[in-house]
Amino acid sequence: MNQKERLLKVLARKEVDRPPVICPGGMMNAAVSEIVTDLEKNHNADKKTMVQIAKKVYELTGFENYGVPFCMTVECEPCGVKVNLGNKNIEPRVTEYNKNQIEDIMKKKINPKQEKRMSVVLEAINKLKNDNIPVIGNLTGHISTATSIIDPLQSFKMLHKNPEKIYNFFKYVNNYLIDYALEMVKAGADVIAISDPSATGEILGAKNFEKFAVPFYKKIVEKLHEVDVPVIIHICGNTKVIIDSLNLIDTNALSFDSVVNIEFAKSRLKTNVMGNVNTQLLHRGRKDKIIAATKNCINKGVDIVAPACGLSMATQIDKLKIMTDFVREGAYR
Amino acid sequence: MEKSKLFEKISGSLIEMEEDKVVELCKKSLELNIPVYETITSGLIAGMDEVGRLYEEEEYFLPEVLICSDAMKAGLDVVKPYLKADDMGKPIKVVIGVVEGDTHDIGKNLVGIMMETSGIEVYDLGRDVPLDKFVKKAEEVEADIIGMSTLMTTTMDGMRTVIEKLEAENIRNKYKVLIGGGPISQKFADMIGADLYTKDANSAVREIKKIVWG
Repeated sequence: MNQKERLLKVLARKEVDRPPVICPGGMMNAAVSEIVTDLEKNHNADKKTMVQIAKKVYELTGFENYGVPFCMTVECEPCGVKVNLGNKNIEPRVTEYNKNQIEDIMKKKINPKQEKRMSVVLEAINKLKNDNIPVIGNLTGHISTATSIIDPLQSFKMLHKNPEKIYNFFKYVNNYLIDYALEMVKAGADVIAISDPSATGEILGAKNFEKFAVPFYKKIVEKLHEVDVPVIIHICGNTKVIIDSLNLIDTNALSFDSVVNIEFAKSRLKTNVMGNVNTQLLHRGRKDKIIAATKNCINKGVDIVAPACGLSMATQIDKLKIMTDFVREGAYR
Repeated sequence: MEKSKLFEKISGSLIEMEEDKVVELCKKSLELNIPVYETITSGLIAGMDEVGRLYEEEEYFLPEVLICSDAMKAGLDVVKPYLKADDMGKPIKVVIGVVEGDTHDIGKNLVGIMMETSGIEVYDLGRDVPLDKFVKKAEEVEADIIGMSTLMTTTMDGMRTVIEKLEAENIRNKYKVLIGGGPISQKFADMIGADLYTKDANSAVREIKKIVWG
Protein backbone atom coordinates (compact mmCIF):
# COMPACT_ATOMS: atom_id res chain seq x y z
CA MET A 1 0.00 0.00 0.00
CA ASN A 2 1.60 3.30 -0.98
CA GLN A 3 1.17 6.56 0.92
CA LYS A 4 -1.47 7.92 -1.39
CA GLU A 5 -3.56 4.77 -1.22
CA ARG A 6 -3.23 4.67 2.57
CA LEU A 7 -4.40 8.24 3.11
CA LEU A 8 -7.25 7.97 0.62
CA LYS A 9 -8.38 4.68 2.14
CA VAL A 10 -8.46 6.12 5.64
CA LEU A 11 -10.42 9.11 4.39
CA ALA A 12 -12.89 6.70 2.77
CA ARG A 13 -13.19 4.89 6.12
CA LYS A 14 -11.54 1.75 4.76
CA GLU A 15 -9.12 -0.44 6.65
CA VAL A 16 -5.38 0.26 6.48
CA ASP A 17 -2.21 -1.28 7.93
CA ARG A 18 -1.35 1.75 10.08
CA PRO A 19 -2.37 5.40 10.39
CA PRO A 20 -0.73 7.79 7.93
CA VAL A 21 1.35 10.60 9.41
CA ILE A 22 0.87 13.88 7.57
CA CYS A 23 1.30 17.62 7.83
CA PRO A 24 -1.22 18.99 5.34
CA GLY A 25 0.29 22.39 4.56
CA GLY A 26 -1.38 25.81 4.66
CA MET A 27 -1.76 26.91 8.24
CA MET A 28 -0.31 23.55 9.29
CA ASN A 29 2.81 23.38 7.20
CA ALA A 30 6.25 21.98 7.91
CA ALA A 31 8.23 24.50 5.86
CA VAL A 32 10.25 25.35 8.96
CA SER A 33 13.26 27.68 8.96
CA GLU A 34 15.76 24.84 8.59
CA ILE A 35 14.04 23.83 5.35
CA VAL A 36 13.53 27.23 3.75
CA THR A 37 17.00 28.49 4.41
CA ASP A 38 19.25 29.72 1.56
CA LEU A 39 16.50 30.21 -1.00
CA GLU A 40 16.93 32.51 -3.94
CA LYS A 41 13.24 33.21 -4.26
CA ASN A 42 10.37 33.28 -1.78
CA HIS A 43 8.74 29.87 -1.45
CA ASN A 44 5.38 31.53 -0.81
CA ALA A 45 5.32 33.30 -4.15
CA ASP A 46 7.55 31.54 -6.66
CA LYS A 47 6.24 28.38 -8.31
CA LYS A 48 9.53 26.52 -8.67
CA THR A 49 10.58 27.31 -5.12
CA MET A 50 7.16 26.28 -3.80
CA VAL A 51 7.46 22.90 -5.51
CA GLN A 52 11.05 22.52 -4.36
CA ILE A 53 10.10 23.22 -0.73
CA ALA A 54 7.08 20.90 -0.80
CA LYS A 55 9.40 18.12 -1.96
CA LYS A 56 12.06 19.02 0.57
CA VAL A 57 9.49 18.94 3.39
CA TYR A 58 8.45 15.48 2.23
CA GLU A 59 11.99 14.16 1.95
CA LEU A 60 13.38 15.59 5.16
CA THR A 61 10.54 15.46 7.68
CA GLY A 62 9.00 12.10 6.88
CA PHE A 63 5.48 13.46 6.58
CA GLU A 64 3.65 11.33 4.03
CA ASN A 65 2.26 14.00 1.75
CA TYR A 66 2.99 17.01 -0.38
CA GLY A 67 1.16 20.12 0.73
CA VAL A 68 0.96 23.67 -0.58
CA PRO A 69 0.92 26.57 0.04
CA PHE A 70 2.76 27.32 3.31
CA CYS A 71 0.70 30.22 4.56
CA MET A 72 -2.79 31.64 5.02
CA THR A 73 -2.57 34.74 2.88
CA VAL A 74 -3.18 33.42 -0.65
CA GLU A 75 -6.97 33.49 -0.24
CA CYS A 76 -7.39 37.04 1.04
CA GLU A 77 -4.82 38.64 -1.23
CA PRO A 78 -7.11 39.14 -4.25
CA CYS A 79 -9.40 41.31 -2.13
CA GLY A 80 -7.20 44.37 -1.76
CA VAL A 81 -5.18 43.65 1.36
CA LYS A 82 -1.49 44.22 1.86
CA VAL A 83 0.55 41.09 2.51
CA ASN A 84 4.07 40.82 3.82
CA LEU A 85 5.45 37.66 2.24
CA GLY A 86 7.67 36.83 5.19
CA ASN A 87 11.12 35.31 5.26
CA LYS A 88 12.82 32.20 6.55
CA ASN A 89 11.83 32.97 10.13
CA ILE A 90 8.40 34.50 9.82
CA GLU A 91 5.40 33.34 7.83
CA PRO A 92 3.54 35.64 5.47
CA ARG A 93 1.00 37.86 7.15
CA VAL A 94 -1.59 40.52 6.36
CA THR A 95 -0.29 43.94 7.25
CA GLU A 96 -3.17 46.10 6.06
CA TYR A 97 -6.86 45.30 5.78
CA ASN A 98 -9.12 46.57 3.02
CA LYS A 99 -10.92 49.56 4.48
CA ASN A 100 -13.55 49.88 1.74
CA GLN A 101 -17.21 49.04 2.14
CA ILE A 102 -18.05 45.35 1.94
CA GLU A 103 -20.40 46.01 -0.98
CA ASP A 104 -17.52 47.46 -2.95
CA ILE A 105 -15.12 44.67 -2.04
CA MET A 106 -17.69 42.14 -3.25
CA LYS A 107 -17.88 43.72 -6.71
CA LYS A 108 -14.67 42.00 -7.74
CA LYS A 109 -15.16 38.73 -9.56
CA ILE A 110 -12.33 36.46 -8.56
CA ASN A 111 -10.96 33.99 -11.04
CA PRO A 112 -8.40 31.83 -9.19
CA LYS A 113 -6.44 31.05 -12.35
CA GLN A 114 -5.86 34.72 -12.96
CA GLU A 115 -4.88 35.67 -9.44
CA LYS A 116 -1.15 35.85 -8.99
CA ARG A 117 -0.48 33.60 -6.05
CA MET A 118 -3.54 31.36 -6.44
CA SER A 119 -2.24 30.49 -9.88
CA VAL A 120 1.21 29.82 -8.45
CA VAL A 121 -0.34 27.34 -6.01
CA LEU A 122 -2.36 25.71 -8.79
CA GLU A 123 0.69 25.30 -10.99
CA ALA A 124 2.71 23.95 -8.05
CA ILE A 125 0.02 21.34 -7.38
CA ASN A 126 0.13 20.36 -11.03
CA LYS A 127 3.89 19.87 -10.85
CA LEU A 128 3.63 17.85 -7.64
CA LYS A 129 0.91 15.53 -8.92
CA ASN A 130 2.00 11.87 -8.87
CA ASP A 131 0.82 8.30 -8.23
CA ASN A 132 2.43 7.53 -4.87
CA ILE A 133 2.45 10.59 -2.64
CA PRO A 134 -0.83 12.34 -1.87
CA VAL A 135 -0.96 16.00 -2.82
CA ILE A 136 -2.96 18.15 -0.40
CA GLY A 137 -4.32 21.48 -1.53
CA ASN A 138 -4.79 23.80 1.43
CA LEU A 139 -7.45 26.40 1.95
CA THR A 140 -7.99 29.04 4.59
CA GLY A 141 -11.65 28.87 5.61
CA HIS A 142 -14.17 31.59 4.82
CA ILE A 143 -14.20 33.19 8.27
CA SER A 144 -10.43 33.48 8.56
CA THR A 145 -10.24 34.72 4.97
CA ALA A 146 -13.02 37.26 5.47
CA THR A 147 -11.47 38.50 8.72
CA SER A 148 -8.14 38.84 6.93
CA ILE A 149 -9.77 41.04 4.29
CA ILE A 150 -11.62 43.37 6.65
CA ASP A 151 -10.88 44.25 10.28
CA PRO A 152 -11.70 41.14 12.35
CA LEU A 153 -13.20 43.06 15.25
CA GLN A 154 -15.58 44.86 12.90
CA SER A 155 -16.58 41.58 11.30
CA PHE A 156 -17.21 39.87 14.63
CA LYS A 157 -19.44 42.71 15.75
CA MET A 158 -21.41 42.40 12.54
CA LEU A 159 -22.44 38.88 13.51
CA HIS A 160 -24.87 40.67 15.84
CA LYS A 161 -25.24 44.11 14.40
CA ASN A 162 -25.52 43.30 10.75
CA PRO A 163 -25.82 39.54 10.43
CA GLU A 164 -27.21 39.51 6.89
CA LYS A 165 -24.47 41.69 5.50
CA ILE A 166 -21.65 39.66 7.03
CA TYR A 167 -23.39 36.41 6.05
CA ASN A 168 -23.44 37.61 2.45
CA PHE A 169 -19.78 38.52 2.66
CA PHE A 170 -18.95 35.06 3.99
CA LYS A 171 -20.96 33.63 1.11
CA TYR A 172 -19.04 35.69 -1.42
CA VAL A 173 -15.73 34.57 0.07
CA ASN A 174 -16.80 30.94 0.35
CA ASN A 175 -17.97 30.90 -3.27
CA TYR A 176 -14.59 31.94 -4.58
CA LEU A 177 -12.90 29.54 -2.17
CA ILE A 178 -15.00 26.78 -3.73
CA ASP A 179 -13.88 27.84 -7.22
CA TYR A 180 -10.28 27.86 -6.02
CA ALA A 181 -10.61 24.43 -4.38
CA LEU A 182 -12.13 22.96 -7.54
CA GLU A 183 -9.25 24.38 -9.56
CA MET A 184 -6.86 22.72 -7.09
CA VAL A 185 -8.60 19.43 -7.79
CA LYS A 186 -8.33 19.97 -11.53
CA ALA A 187 -4.64 20.72 -11.07
CA GLY A 188 -4.15 17.41 -9.31
CA ALA A 189 -4.91 17.76 -5.60
CA ASP A 190 -5.92 14.43 -4.07
CA VAL A 191 -7.23 15.91 -0.85
CA ILE A 192 -8.33 19.39 0.25
CA ALA A 193 -7.57 20.54 3.79
CA ILE A 194 -9.34 23.55 5.26
CA SER A 195 -8.14 25.47 8.32
CA ASP A 196 -10.18 28.27 9.80
CA PRO A 197 -8.48 29.45 12.98
CA SER A 198 -10.66 32.53 13.42
CA ALA A 199 -13.76 30.36 13.51
CA THR A 200 -13.19 28.54 16.76
CA GLY A 201 -15.95 27.78 19.21
CA GLU A 202 -13.99 29.80 21.73
CA ILE A 203 -14.14 32.94 19.62
CA LEU A 204 -17.61 32.57 18.15
CA GLY A 205 -19.61 30.42 20.56
CA ALA A 206 -21.79 27.53 19.48
CA LYS A 207 -24.71 29.55 18.09
CA ASN A 208 -22.59 31.71 15.85
CA PHE A 209 -20.54 28.72 14.78
CA GLU A 210 -23.66 26.91 13.65
CA LYS A 211 -25.05 29.93 11.88
CA PHE A 212 -21.96 31.42 10.24
CA ALA A 213 -19.47 28.56 9.93
CA VAL A 214 -21.23 25.21 9.51
CA PRO A 215 -23.40 25.97 6.43
CA PHE A 216 -20.39 27.19 4.47
CA TYR A 217 -18.22 24.21 5.38
CA LYS A 218 -21.10 21.95 4.37
CA LYS A 219 -21.34 23.64 1.02
CA ILE A 220 -17.65 23.43 0.21
CA VAL A 221 -17.47 19.78 1.32
CA GLU A 222 -20.52 18.96 -0.83
CA LYS A 223 -18.93 20.57 -3.87
CA LEU A 224 -15.68 18.66 -3.36
CA HIS A 225 -17.51 15.38 -2.81
CA GLU A 226 -19.27 15.91 -6.12
CA VAL A 227 -15.85 15.53 -7.74
CA ASP A 228 -14.91 12.67 -5.37
CA VAL A 229 -12.28 14.52 -3.43
CA PRO A 230 -12.05 14.00 0.33
CA VAL A 231 -11.84 16.93 2.73
CA ILE A 232 -10.03 17.44 6.03
CA ILE A 233 -11.14 20.29 8.25
CA HIS A 234 -8.87 21.54 11.01
CA ILE A 235 -10.62 23.05 14.00
CA CYS A 236 -8.51 25.29 16.23
CA GLY A 237 -8.82 25.61 19.98
CA ASN A 238 -11.13 23.77 22.28
CA THR A 239 -14.12 22.18 20.59
CA LYS A 240 -16.19 21.53 23.68
CA VAL A 241 -18.99 23.92 22.76
CA ILE A 242 -19.17 23.00 19.07
CA ILE A 243 -18.45 19.26 19.04
CA ASP A 244 -21.97 18.22 18.11
CA SER A 245 -22.36 20.76 15.32
CA LEU A 246 -19.26 19.26 13.71
CA ASN A 247 -21.32 16.19 12.87
CA LEU A 248 -23.46 18.38 10.61
CA ILE A 249 -20.50 18.79 8.26
CA ASP A 250 -20.04 15.65 6.21
CA THR A 251 -16.27 15.92 6.13
CA ASN A 252 -13.84 12.97 5.77
CA ALA A 253 -11.69 13.92 8.73
CA LEU A 254 -11.61 16.49 11.50
CA SER A 255 -8.25 17.61 12.79
CA PHE A 256 -7.90 18.96 16.33
CA ASP A 257 -5.74 21.07 18.55
CA SER A 258 -3.84 19.39 21.38
CA VAL A 259 -6.28 20.67 24.01
CA VAL A 260 -8.90 18.33 22.56
CA ASN A 261 -9.17 14.91 24.16
CA ILE A 262 -9.16 12.43 21.29
CA GLU A 263 -11.21 9.82 23.14
CA PHE A 264 -13.88 12.42 23.79
CA ALA A 265 -13.83 13.57 20.15
CA LYS A 266 -13.98 10.00 18.87
CA SER A 267 -16.91 9.21 21.11
CA ARG A 268 -18.96 12.11 19.78
CA LEU A 269 -18.01 12.27 16.12
CA LYS A 270 -18.97 10.13 13.17
CA THR A 271 -15.97 10.84 11.02
CA ASN A 272 -12.19 10.27 11.12
CA VAL A 273 -10.21 12.12 13.73
CA MET A 274 -6.79 13.56 12.92
CA GLY A 275 -4.19 15.00 15.23
CA ASN A 276 -2.93 16.08 17.61
CA VAL A 277 0.70 16.01 18.67
CA ASN A 278 1.39 19.19 20.62
CA THR A 279 3.33 21.64 18.46
CA GLN A 280 5.15 23.25 21.38
CA LEU A 281 6.36 19.81 22.32
CA LEU A 282 7.57 19.33 18.75
CA HIS A 283 9.39 22.65 19.05
CA ARG A 284 10.98 22.31 22.48
CA GLY A 285 10.25 18.82 23.80
CA ARG A 286 12.60 15.92 24.46
CA LYS A 287 12.66 12.85 22.22
CA ASP A 288 10.98 10.54 24.73
CA LYS A 289 8.17 13.04 25.32
CA ILE A 290 7.52 13.42 21.60
CA ILE A 291 7.37 9.65 21.24
CA ALA A 292 5.07 9.36 24.25
CA ALA A 293 2.71 12.01 22.85
CA THR A 294 2.64 10.41 19.41
CA LYS A 295 2.00 7.00 20.93
CA ASN A 296 -0.74 8.44 23.07
CA CYS A 297 -2.50 9.88 20.00
CA ILE A 298 -2.41 6.49 18.31
CA ASN A 299 -3.57 4.64 21.40
CA LYS A 300 -6.45 7.03 21.86
CA GLY A 301 -7.51 6.19 18.33
CA VAL A 302 -6.54 8.95 15.90
CA ASP A 303 -7.08 7.79 12.34
CA ILE A 304 -4.39 10.11 10.96
CA VAL A 305 -1.41 11.30 12.99
CA ALA A 306 -0.53 14.98 12.53
CA PRO A 307 0.74 18.01 14.43
CA ALA A 308 -2.00 19.62 16.51
CA CYS A 309 -1.68 23.08 15.02
CA GLY A 310 0.62 25.32 13.01
CA LEU A 311 4.27 24.45 13.64
CA SER A 312 6.64 27.08 14.90
CA MET A 313 9.12 27.88 12.15
CA ALA A 314 11.87 27.33 14.69
CA THR A 315 10.93 23.63 14.99
CA GLN A 316 13.86 21.36 14.14
CA ILE A 317 13.56 18.79 11.39
CA ASP A 318 14.95 16.14 13.75
CA LYS A 319 12.05 16.62 16.14
CA LEU A 320 9.54 16.11 13.34
CA LYS A 321 11.44 13.00 12.26
CA ILE A 322 11.07 11.52 15.73
CA MET A 323 7.31 11.74 15.36
CA THR A 324 7.10 10.50 11.77
CA ASP A 325 9.63 7.69 12.24
CA PHE A 326 7.70 6.42 15.22
CA VAL A 327 4.47 6.15 13.22
CA ARG A 328 6.10 4.79 10.07
CA GLU A 329 8.16 2.14 11.83
CA GLY A 330 5.08 0.89 13.65
CA ALA A 331 7.05 0.45 16.89
CA TYR A 332 3.87 1.09 18.90
CA ARG A 333 2.34 -2.20 17.89
CA MET B 1 -36.12 57.31 39.16
CA GLU B 2 -34.05 56.04 42.04
CA LYS B 3 -30.31 56.08 41.58
CA SER B 4 -29.84 52.38 42.18
CA LYS B 5 -32.65 51.55 39.79
CA LEU B 6 -31.04 53.66 37.10
CA PHE B 7 -27.65 51.98 37.61
CA GLU B 8 -29.33 48.62 37.34
CA LYS B 9 -30.96 49.67 34.08
CA ILE B 10 -27.66 50.94 32.71
CA SER B 11 -25.81 47.72 33.45
CA GLY B 12 -28.79 45.67 32.28
CA SER B 13 -28.98 47.47 28.90
CA LEU B 14 -25.22 47.20 28.54
CA ILE B 15 -25.33 43.45 29.12
CA GLU B 16 -28.20 43.22 26.61
CA MET B 17 -25.99 45.01 24.05
CA GLU B 18 -28.44 47.91 23.72
CA GLU B 19 -26.12 50.78 23.03
CA ASP B 20 -28.84 53.38 22.38
CA LYS B 21 -30.49 52.63 25.68
CA VAL B 22 -27.21 52.90 27.55
CA VAL B 23 -26.64 56.33 25.99
CA GLU B 24 -30.15 57.46 26.79
CA LEU B 25 -29.88 56.30 30.42
CA CYS B 26 -26.50 57.96 30.84
CA LYS B 27 -28.02 61.23 29.63
CA LYS B 28 -30.78 60.74 32.16
CA SER B 29 -28.20 60.33 34.94
CA LEU B 30 -26.81 63.75 34.03
CA GLU B 31 -30.29 65.30 34.11
CA LEU B 32 -30.80 63.82 37.56
CA ASN B 33 -27.47 65.27 38.72
CA ILE B 34 -26.16 61.88 39.74
CA PRO B 35 -22.40 62.04 40.36
CA VAL B 36 -20.69 60.88 37.23
CA TYR B 37 -18.20 58.57 38.92
CA GLU B 38 -21.11 56.69 40.49
CA THR B 39 -22.76 56.19 37.12
CA ILE B 40 -19.46 54.93 35.75
CA THR B 41 -18.62 52.54 38.56
CA SER B 42 -22.07 51.31 39.60
CA GLY B 43 -23.67 51.38 36.15
CA LEU B 44 -21.18 50.99 33.33
CA ILE B 45 -18.29 49.17 34.99
CA ALA B 46 -20.69 46.97 36.96
CA GLY B 47 -22.30 45.99 33.65
CA MET B 48 -18.96 45.17 32.05
CA ASP B 49 -17.99 43.12 35.10
CA GLU B 50 -21.04 40.98 34.48
CA VAL B 51 -20.15 40.75 30.77
CA GLY B 52 -16.70 39.56 31.81
CA ARG B 53 -18.26 36.93 34.02
CA LEU B 54 -20.54 35.75 31.21
CA TYR B 55 -17.49 35.54 28.98
CA GLU B 56 -15.56 33.45 31.48
CA GLU B 57 -18.56 31.16 31.85
CA GLU B 58 -18.79 30.78 28.06
CA GLU B 59 -22.22 32.33 27.77
CA TYR B 60 -20.82 35.31 25.91
CA PHE B 61 -18.14 35.09 23.26
CA LEU B 62 -15.97 37.59 21.43
CA PRO B 63 -18.74 39.19 19.30
CA GLU B 64 -20.94 39.82 22.35
CA VAL B 65 -18.07 41.23 24.41
CA LEU B 66 -17.11 43.60 21.60
CA ILE B 67 -20.63 44.95 21.26
CA CYS B 68 -21.06 45.38 25.02
CA SER B 69 -17.78 47.25 25.19
CA ASP B 70 -18.94 49.56 22.41
CA ALA B 71 -22.09 50.26 24.43
CA MET B 72 -19.92 50.92 27.46
CA LYS B 73 -17.73 53.35 25.53
CA ALA B 74 -20.78 55.16 24.11
CA GLY B 75 -22.13 55.60 27.64
CA LEU B 76 -18.76 56.76 28.85
CA ASP B 77 -18.60 59.38 26.08
CA VAL B 78 -21.84 60.87 27.39
CA VAL B 79 -20.86 61.21 31.03
CA LYS B 80 -17.09 61.58 30.97
CA PRO B 81 -17.00 65.31 30.06
CA TYR B 82 -18.79 65.97 33.36
CA LEU B 83 -16.39 63.90 35.43
CA LYS B 84 -14.42 65.86 38.03
CA ALA B 85 -10.71 65.30 37.64
CA ASP B 86 -9.92 63.39 40.84
CA ASP B 87 -13.23 61.62 41.33
CA MET B 88 -12.04 58.32 39.97
CA GLY B 89 -8.70 58.28 41.76
CA LYS B 90 -5.43 57.63 39.98
CA PRO B 91 -6.00 55.09 37.22
CA ILE B 92 -3.77 52.09 36.62
CA LYS B 93 -1.76 52.62 33.44
CA VAL B 94 -0.95 49.75 31.14
CA VAL B 95 1.14 49.65 27.98
CA ILE B 96 0.17 46.70 25.79
CA GLY B 97 1.08 45.28 22.41
CA VAL B 98 1.78 42.20 20.32
CA VAL B 99 5.53 41.56 20.22
CA GLU B 100 7.63 42.07 17.12
CA GLY B 101 7.23 39.48 14.37
CA ASP B 102 3.61 38.69 15.14
CA THR B 103 0.48 40.37 13.83
CA HIS B 104 -2.20 38.31 15.58
CA ASP B 105 -3.98 40.84 17.72
CA ILE B 106 -7.50 39.64 18.46
CA GLY B 107 -6.49 38.44 21.92
CA LYS B 108 -4.53 41.57 22.72
CA ASN B 109 -7.43 43.75 21.56
CA LEU B 110 -9.83 41.87 23.79
CA VAL B 111 -7.53 42.29 26.78
CA GLY B 112 -7.23 46.01 25.97
CA ILE B 113 -10.99 46.37 25.78
CA MET B 114 -11.60 44.58 29.05
CA MET B 115 -8.96 46.76 30.72
CA GLU B 116 -10.36 50.01 29.35
CA THR B 117 -13.89 49.14 30.31
CA SER B 118 -12.81 48.45 33.86
CA GLY B 119 -11.30 51.90 34.19
CA ILE B 120 -7.68 51.10 33.40
CA GLU B 121 -5.81 53.56 31.20
CA VAL B 122 -4.56 51.59 28.19
CA TYR B 123 -1.75 52.60 25.84
CA ASP B 124 -2.09 50.19 22.95
CA LEU B 125 1.05 49.95 20.81
CA GLY B 126 -0.69 47.70 18.29
CA ARG B 127 0.86 44.64 16.69
CA ASP B 128 4.31 43.71 15.44
CA VAL B 129 5.70 46.13 18.05
CA PRO B 130 9.50 46.69 18.14
CA LEU B 131 10.69 45.51 21.55
CA ASP B 132 12.31 48.83 22.51
CA LYS B 133 8.98 50.55 22.13
CA PHE B 134 7.45 48.74 25.11
CA VAL B 135 10.06 50.14 27.47
CA LYS B 136 10.11 53.59 25.88
CA LYS B 137 6.35 54.04 26.05
CA ALA B 138 6.13 52.71 29.61
CA GLU B 139 8.73 55.25 30.70
CA GLU B 140 7.00 58.03 28.79
CA VAL B 141 3.54 57.51 30.28
CA GLU B 142 4.75 56.29 33.68
CA ALA B 143 2.92 53.02 33.31
CA ASP B 144 2.34 50.50 36.08
CA ILE B 145 2.17 47.49 33.82
CA ILE B 146 3.78 46.34 30.58
CA GLY B 147 1.57 43.78 28.85
CA MET B 148 2.86 41.66 25.96
CA SER B 149 1.07 39.12 23.84
CA THR B 150 1.93 36.69 21.07
CA LEU B 151 0.25 33.77 19.36
CA MET B 152 3.42 32.38 17.89
CA THR B 153 6.14 30.33 19.50
CA THR B 154 8.78 31.96 17.32
CA THR B 155 8.18 35.38 18.82
CA MET B 156 7.76 34.34 22.47
CA ASP B 157 11.39 35.01 23.25
CA GLY B 158 10.89 38.70 22.49
CA MET B 159 9.11 38.90 25.84
CA ARG B 160 12.25 37.79 27.61
CA THR B 161 14.22 40.43 25.70
CA VAL B 162 11.93 43.19 26.98
CA ILE B 163 12.41 42.03 30.56
CA GLU B 164 16.17 41.95 30.02
CA LYS B 165 16.02 45.49 28.66
CA LEU B 166 14.23 46.65 31.80
CA GLU B 167 16.88 44.97 33.92
CA ALA B 168 19.71 46.48 31.90
CA GLU B 169 18.27 49.93 32.41
CA ASN B 170 17.77 49.29 36.13
CA ILE B 171 14.04 49.94 35.93
CA ARG B 172 12.75 46.39 36.27
CA ASN B 173 11.17 47.20 39.65
CA LYS B 174 9.15 50.08 38.27
CA TYR B 175 6.89 47.80 36.28
CA LYS B 176 4.91 44.63 36.59
CA VAL B 177 5.17 42.58 33.42
CA LEU B 178 2.08 40.78 32.18
CA ILE B 179 2.27 38.23 29.37
CA GLY B 180 -0.31 36.16 27.52
CA GLY B 181 -1.30 34.48 24.26
CA GLY B 182 -1.80 31.00 22.80
CA PRO B 183 1.59 29.38 23.48
CA ILE B 184 2.29 31.25 26.74
CA SER B 185 2.04 29.41 30.04
CA GLN B 186 2.72 30.04 33.72
CA LYS B 187 5.84 27.94 33.30
CA PHE B 188 7.12 30.22 30.55
CA ALA B 189 6.27 33.29 32.64
CA ASP B 190 8.30 31.87 35.54
CA MET B 191 11.14 31.01 33.23
CA ILE B 192 11.54 34.53 31.84
CA GLY B 193 10.70 36.26 35.12
CA ALA B 194 7.39 37.85 34.15
CA ASP B 195 5.20 38.94 37.06
CA LEU B 196 1.90 37.79 35.73
CA TYR B 197 0.38 35.36 33.28
CA THR B 198 -3.34 34.85 32.86
CA LYS B 199 -5.19 32.59 30.49
CA ASP B 200 -7.93 35.03 29.52
CA ALA B 201 -8.76 38.71 29.31
CA ASN B 202 -11.07 38.94 32.26
CA SER B 203 -8.70 37.33 34.72
CA ALA B 204 -5.94 39.62 33.42
CA VAL B 205 -7.96 42.62 34.58
CA ARG B 206 -8.71 41.04 37.94
CA GLU B 207 -5.12 40.05 38.59
CA ILE B 208 -3.74 43.43 37.51
CA LYS B 209 -5.92 45.17 40.06
CA LYS B 210 -4.71 42.72 42.67
CA ILE B 211 -1.01 43.22 42.05
CA VAL B 212 -1.17 46.99 41.63
CA TRP B 213 -3.51 47.74 44.49
CA GLY B 214 -2.26 44.85 46.62
